[in-house]
Amino acid sequence: MAAAPHDFTTEELARRRAASRKLAWALGAAALALYVFGFFIQR
Amino acid sequence: MNTATITVNGHVGHHDGGHHPAGILRWLTTTNHKDIGTMYLTFALVMFFVGGIMILAVRAELFQPGLQLMKPEFFNQLIGIHGLVMIFAALMPAATGFANWQIPLMIGAPDMALPRLNNWGFWLLPPAAILLTLPFTLALFGIGDGALATGWTFYAPLSVQGGIGVDFAIFAVHILGISSILGSINIIVTIFNMRAPGMTMMKMPLFCWGWLITAFLLIATIPVLAGAVTMLLTDRHFGTHFFNAAGGGDPILFQHLFWFFGHPEVYILLLPVWGLMPHVLSTFSRKPAYGYKAQVYAFIAIGILSVIVWAHHFFTAGMPVPALLYFMYSTMSISLPLAVLFFCWIATMWRGAMSFETPMLFATGFIVLFGIAGLTGLVLADVAADAQYHHSYFVVAHFHYALFAGGIMGVMTGVYYWLPKWTGRMYSETLGKWHFWLTVVSFNLTFMPQFFLGLAGMPRRIPDYALQFAEFNALSSIGAFILGLSQLLFVWNVVQCMRGQGAPAGNRPWEGAEGLEWELPSPPPYHSWEVQPQVK
Repeated sequence: MAAAPHDFTTEELARRRAASRKLAWALGAAALALYVFGFFIQR
Repeated sequence: MNTATITVNGHVGHHDGGHHPAGILRWLTTTNHKDIGTMYLTFALVMFFVGGIMILAVRAELFQPGLQLMKPEFFNQLIGIHGLVMIFAALMPAATGFANWQIPLMIGAPDMALPRLNNWGFWLLPPAAILLTLPFTLALFGIGDGALATGWTFYAPLSVQGGIGVDFAIFAVHILGISSILGSINIIVTIFNMRAPGMTMMKMPLFCWGWLITAFLLIATIPVLAGAVTMLLTDRHFGTHFFNAAGGGDPILFQHLFWFFGHPEVYILLLPVWGLMPHVLSTFSRKPAYGYKAQVYAFIAIGILSVIVWAHHFFTAGMPVPALLYFMYSTMSISLPLAVLFFCWIATMWRGAMSFETPMLFATGFIVLFGIAGLTGLVLADVAADAQYHHSYFVVAHFHYALFAGGIMGVMTGVYYWLPKWTGRMYSETLGKWHFWLTVVSFNLTFMPQFFLGLAGMPRRIPDYALQFAEFNALSSIGAFILGLSQLLFVWNVVQCMRGQGAPAGNRPWEGAEGLEWELPSPPPYHSWEVQPQVK
């Protein structure tokens, strides 16, 4: 059986959003790295 | 659709309303996923008509041989901006609108994980759309020579030599790319961090899976496009020679960079639609989606394959035979996971208690017509055949079967399916069915003749043509105008629902619908889930 439902508390939302911010920065940095990498492509 | 059991929890509505701004300020400052989803969808609809009007002007010119309405330069501008508008400003925002509306509802989250980023992602779009289309207006006042005239692909060296329209388009693509990356980041982190307890990745709705793969593809490929157009900008204005053979550069390098983005872009446009199809087919067949895991793995396989097949777009530019063979076979291998998806869609309907409300009509129409796109794509993937069909109307017909029948009709499917949830009102089924049949008939009238024009040798992107192509072009133009006009029925139907017309929808307007979003009221409250739903 699942646990009893509970509200999204402020603390839990803050924890989830902090984790999201960290991952977002990592993904943004990856995108920026790909962009810069493009300038060094040579054939 | 996931097979998870859902424990229905009451929604606490005490935060609903009263603490968010009203009027225009609401839309400018909103961080609410549903408001932002509505803005994306509205923007996409407006730009769909902007791009549509451009191509109707083109089809009017092509109604008969000779130059009747416009100069070839203006014709080229309309073609290029039509492509960019439809891809970047209509289809992609429509899919992002679905993501904003549906992902939090479907995974049991109160909102997207990063709501302010979400707002920024949307509001970058209107300036980019203005940049794309402004050169038309500037040319009326004698400033510049009009919009981008290279086709949507910006091929060098033509784009290196073009007028200010190229610069406007380069900046627009940068801004559109930033918007897409911000939206993708938000979708990925929302799916990873905001799912309801018990909703494991393999219980997640297929729509969310489709969008997850799409978001990773966007982050992997948009920077490459941005890099390519930045290099184009420096070639144009800062003395570099990335794509200028006279300076030691290579114009074919631009084609590689562009299509490294461009081919995954096709799947970026289609994966959200493939994700929503099983929900619709399952609902109106009244049985669970067939092959949940197979569909997830097919999405992942298509995502991976999509970034290693790009050079099939320019077989005729010349490349070593081993490269030709590699890109031919890798391209054809995409048909395997795609066949898995087709099998699962058909198996979902097999022996189901089917009914054909408007979303189901569009979904079945999608399967048939998108199937034609897939089969003609196999023809183009063949190196030997492609030498004949490249740059012909066969290609134009093929990608419109993919992106109109696959993309736009997929979006229509989703809108009709979720509109009762979003607005709380049922749309007019009669109008919806008229819209479907007019769309299907006129779409085929527009694009089926273009296959034959291509087979007969008519090149694309020309304002005039030889006399033997006249009849099929006339048919195609008539079909295009019916297709364009029939979309007004869709607008009327949607607007009526938004104005509160039509029968109340109830929480679950479709008896066969499964999933968290159908547990919420229609329309959902301002904060979607304040009590965490449980997924078993």
